[in-house]
Amino acid sequence: MSLDAGAIERLYRSHGHIVLRRARALLGSEEDAQEALQEVFASLLRAPHSLRNATSVVGWLYQSTTHFCLNQLRNRRTGARLLQSSVAPAPAHVAGRGGEVLAELRRVLSRLPADVAAATVYHHLDGMTHAEVAGLLGCSRRKVGYLLERAQRSLALLEQSA
Amino acid sequence: MTTSLANQAWDACSSALQFDQYLAGELDPPDAERFRAHVDDCARCTSALNELRSGAKERLPPLRVVPFPPRSRFPIRALAAAAGIVAAASLLLVVRSPGTRSKGTGFTLGMYVEHQGEVRRAGPGETVAPGDAVRFAVSAPVDVFVAVLSLDANGHGSIYFPAGGRAERVQAGNDVALPLGTRLDATAGEERILGLFCASPVELEPLRLQLERGGPEIPDGCQVTRWSFVKR
Repeated sequence: MSLDAGAIERLYRSHGHIVLRRARALLGSEEDAQEALQEVFASLLRAPHSLRNATSVVGWLYQSTTHFCLNQLRNRRTGARLLQSSVAPAPAHVAGRGGEVLAELRRVLSRLPADVAAATVYHHLDGMTHAEVAGLLGCSRRKVGYLLERAQRSLALLEQSA
Repeated sequence: MTTSLANQAWDACSSALQFDQYLAGELDPPDAERFRAHVDDCARCTSALNELRSGAKERLPPLRVVPFPPRSRFPIRALAAAAGIVAAASLLLVVRSPGTRSKGTGFTLGMYVEHQGEVRRAGPGETVAPGDAVRFAVSAPVDVFVAVLSLDANGHGSIYFPAGGRAERVQAGNDVALPLGTRLDATAGEERILGLFCASPVELEPLRLQLERGGPEIPDGCQVTRWSFVKR
């Protein structure tokens, strides 16, 4: 399946809400979710052939949105770490008043390997079966079970260290 | 699974994917029929379906990517030429989102702000506070010499990046954080930011002085990106 620009514009109108809804849930920021919406469809305009092998447009949008949002969460984490490591200490009246940089869930996802994080999102947040996750990730159901087990172990470790 | 994940989980008998595929008409007729029959008998799934249908009515902003005719009327930028970038590849004009300002051939400047422990990606016109930390990040298709200058509300010009007197080479990449962050001072008002992407390590002090006098004149081989934030 490969689309011209007009068809992609129509797809944006008919399916864009799927991207926006999931991006809002994953990123927790309206501005970032709107950015994800634009970027997912911009990537499709740049490379319409990426839909060629997709059996489901909705599935492709799920994959693309998840990939973009998890990258954003990792970038936020990188930005936070860089700021903490390279910026001069805050004045006393500013330091110490801060809350958490990110919500727990997003922080956890940003720390997981990409395939583990994607499997976690699909299974736990989207309610997908192992077979559905395997279909989107292009792997076996056994591999999905392995990824989710890794996620559990990583989360347990993170909770212990928190 | 952690409590937070459990709280976020999709709460229906089938996955969100299957609901979306059903609404998009992607399920095979027998599967769609089974799905419909179940939803009709399940209050939780009926509620989920109605919620998705309601969300689908949301009016979306215009798509910010504008298809171009194959032969672009836009000139090849000097830097692109120097870098050997082929302009024919520019079939799309991407109007970048808030938080990223770009001009020309894929060079963009983003800004992160840390406010009371929270880090966010800033947009033009962002409101910041004295004591906030800011850090810039660039995306560039090729290695490029970068500088970030500012003019505060009192007309004082500063060089945010780099620490030396010339634009510094930054490697090609996406959202590459510049290695210097800045903690904002107490000068209130609008602060204008000038991002320079240059083919050579241009001298920055003359540009800073020109900035204070209403300039600067952009050197040959450079692209400029402008935006501002408001400190209060």
